[in-house]
Amino acid sequence: MGQATLVQKMKEKAEAVQTRVALVRSMEEALTAAVEITLKGGGHVLAAPGLGERHEEAVPFLNELCRSRGVDLLMENLRGHMGRIHTAFTVGDYAIAETGTLVQISHDEDLRMATMLSETHVAVIPVSRIRPHALAFEPEMLRILQRPPSYLAFISGASRTADIERVLTIGVHGPSELHMLILEEEPHEEAPS
Amino acid sequence: MISTPPDLKSYKTQLRRALQNEFLATTLRTFASAYRLSRANAFEGLDATHLVEEIARGKDAAIPYLQELFEQFRSRAEAAGVKVHVARTPREANEIIASIARSNDVRKIVKSKSMTAEETFLNDHLEKEGFQVTETDLGEWIIQLRGEGPSHMVMPAIHLSRKEVAELFTGVTGEVQDPDDIAGMVQVARKELRQAYVEAHMGISGANFAVAETGTLGLITNEGNARLVTTLPPVHVAMLGFEKLVPDLRSALRILQMLPRNATGQAISTYVTWITGANQCATGPDGRKAMHVVFLDNGRLTLARDPVFAEALRCIRCGACANVCPIYKLVGGHNYGHVYMGAIGLILTYFYHGRENARAMVKNCLNCQACKSVCASGIDLPRLIREVHRKILKEEGTKPVKNVILNLVLRNRRLFHFLLRRASLAQSPVASGERVMRHLPFFFDREHEFRSLPLLAGTPLRDRWNQVNPSLENPRLRVALFGGCLVDFVYPEQALALVKLFAAHDVQLEYPMEQTCCGLPAEMMGEKETARQVALQNLHSLDMSRFDHILTLCASCGSHLKESYPRLLEGEGDAEPMVRGMVEKVTDFSSFMINVLQVSPRQFQEGGAKTAYHSPCHLCRGLNVTGEPRELLTLAGLEYTPSRDEDVCCGFGGSFSVDFPMLSAEILREKLDHTEDTGADVLVTDCPGCVLQLRGGLDKRNSSIRVKHMVEIIAEQKKW
Repeated sequence: MGQATLVQKMKEKAEAVQTRVALVRSMEEALTAAVEITLKGGGHVLAAPGLGERHEEAVPFLNELCRSRGVDLLMENLRGHMGRIHTAFTVGDYAIAETGTLVQISHDEDLRMATMLSETHVAVIPVSRIRPHALAFEPEMLRILQRPPSYLAFISGASRTADIERVLTIGVHGPSELHMLILEEEPHEEAPS
Repeated sequence: MISTPPDLKSYKTQLRRALQNEFLATTLRTFASAYRLSRANAFEGLDATHLVEEIARGKDAAIPYLQELFEQFRSRAEAAGVKVHVARTPREANEIIASIARSNDVRKIVKSKSMTAEETFLNDHLEKEGFQVTETDLGEWIIQLRGEGPSHMVMPAIHLSRKEVAELFTGVTGEVQDPDDIAGMVQVARKELRQAYVEAHMGISGANFAVAETGTLGLITNEGNARLVTTLPPVHVAMLGFEKLVPDLRSALRILQMLPRNATGQAISTYVTWITGANQCATGPDGRKAMHVVFLDNGRLTLARDPVFAEALRCIRCGACANVCPIYKLVGGHNYGHVYMGAIGLILTYFYHGRENARAMVKNCLNCQACKSVCASGIDLPRLIREVHRKILKEEGTKPVKNVILNLVLRNRRLFHFLLRRASLAQSPVASGERVMRHLPFFFDREHEFRSLPLLAGTPLRDRWNQVNPSLENPRLRVALFGGCLVDFVYPEQALALVKLFAAHDVQLEYPMEQTCCGLPAEMMGEKETARQVALQNLHSLDMSRFDHILTLCASCGSHLKESYPRLLEGEGDAEPMVRGMVEKVTDFSSFMINVLQVSPRQFQEGGAKTAYHSPCHLCRGLNVTGEPRELLTLAGLEYTPSRDEDVCCGFGGSFSVDFPMLSAEILREKLDHTEDTGADVLVTDCPGCVLQLRGGLDKRNSSIRVKHMVEIIAEQKKW
């Protein structure tokens, strides 16, 4: 599958599960989008756990951006901020096009707190990290599982339920919005695998 | 605690009550239709049959080695800081979990959905021990608040209306809830349960997989509650049955491809979580989670060695067998299961919750094969249900009178046919000059009056065969007719139509006189030995060397001959090769006309009646024949008009309609409504059992729709 087809499929399948998909060309563009989404959603707290380790160069930019837009930025110790987080900003580790799935290595507890307890989850996923289907991802996934402890999350859309009269309702426990920002340019740093 | 009627009488009372619940009927009917559609969409572009075969093969390869897989899982998980426990009984499992809670000074517990925990009634135990347990899956929380068990494995509260939920939540919040604001009620749950997560000291989850090669647990949810349950509290206990062990990640991913598609028609559930080892947890000991995995045996390891029932352990708990079951659709899971519901529930209840709870409901199966056709792991559910029924009869020693009579009569063909002839004479007082009984015999109560019953034929087919069947000089083919009891003794005219038609096509038809009942009724009543004996007798009556084909007008007989005889006669020495030869030659009428005789439109009249079709269960699923009957109708000049749910059972199910007339009547009513909606003048089907049911039902409606066996309408349409 060519890259353009893969991205197209990713977009199509993610949108099929109500994920909002956009293409971005840089980390700065992604961060700007995340802050705007926060403000548009009436939020004023953004958590970006793990960003410092993965994309140290982006942190000063985000700090400045949040400061200028009046958004509180949280980077760690998120247990102390449960209930406050509006937006979780994460860098996805992989994605699976066939099911529109974001794969997030979530051993880090702050990362879990942010992606589970926020109202909106904004994830960036570099194009090079998209795999066509789950079985194609299996060898890489196996390597992750073989190095415990690990908490690996497949996320396909926003939290949902149909437990009352089978009416689909979004946002029962987790975020009620998932944004997937497909990063067309590979950043210099490799995501850990 | 849930209670399930231990005897047929109280079970039937419960079923009658369930049928009065209009909300349940409407909601399950809508769900059944929606499910079929969304499942089909979800599998688009995927080879579902191949996937089912792969999963079945994988499960069958793993089941004999569950103990070894467990050891491998344990060593990997323990190396990663997890404590692994084994519970032999439900009580042991509950006690292990309570003691983990006690030793961690836990008071409040949050729980994500687990059928295994339902199996052990874990919540009841923990609450008795003084712990406060909160279910966090919305459906589970609702039924917990109501003190009920789930009525579906995937949608536990599907039996409840928005109004009932609103009343319940009004009680919980002290604020009046609007039943039509479902999103608002979901927000109530979000708010209330957030607090529970934060306060809980322990989280209990189930698991969909335990991957032996890595010691990983896989959890699938849509709501995301399992993520919170396994993250926020410092202690995590996962509880699962041994059958959730898979050897490797690849096997788990294969099941993941199937499970959401088959369960809810989703390509994937929103959250799939893979946990390996004790992860970071700020409030846990040494900054890590205290993590425990409890494997429940409760008979599974014995079941794994059972030559017949090990197959039940393939189940991945998708709930599809309930979704397509015509009986589940009418009465829901609280009336069609104990803890586990639907077809797999009828089987597992016996093994996990005992004979008492399985005894009555195991009889409640139409053998329509709908469950088998959608099972994610290819379990032959209807067969296992019959096997459980048989096991219970055997263990209890005392057989119902009808089983005793059946065994006595069916094993002796002459006696059986003698009695049928006598019965034909005896019925004259209830007959009214027509072909149906206007008054049912005394042993039927009013509940059976939903359909009229046909009279037995004055002269059975076998007694007039030699006069009616012409001997052809140089036939192109020789075909044996396997009549089956209904064609022989009730509807000989169907065979007469065939005789006429075949003579015109130069096909020599013969009726081997030693043939008897195919034995399916015996198997359905749990009488396998009788079924085996009549199978042998039929096999010997059909001299395979003389016939090119064996044709049956009864889809049930055909599918029983083809599918069950090889199994019933396994290890019978000479019979085995004979069965193989027979199976190849068995065919249904439509397939024979299309594929063997290759009939063409010019042989038929044009401008035939507007025709609806009912696809018999044992034709479309038993024999996998779906295209030919429809092709034949069109080709023979009939105006075939598709109707809704054409391949859903008509509710006959042989003795089922006698045992459960209230259910049979409802299933039939829906079938006939769909037929009438088409505006057809004729309803065609390929099975005399369906003819009996459909014709009897339409007669009671005083409908002008004529019911015909395929062979009759084709003979009518032929240019002579």
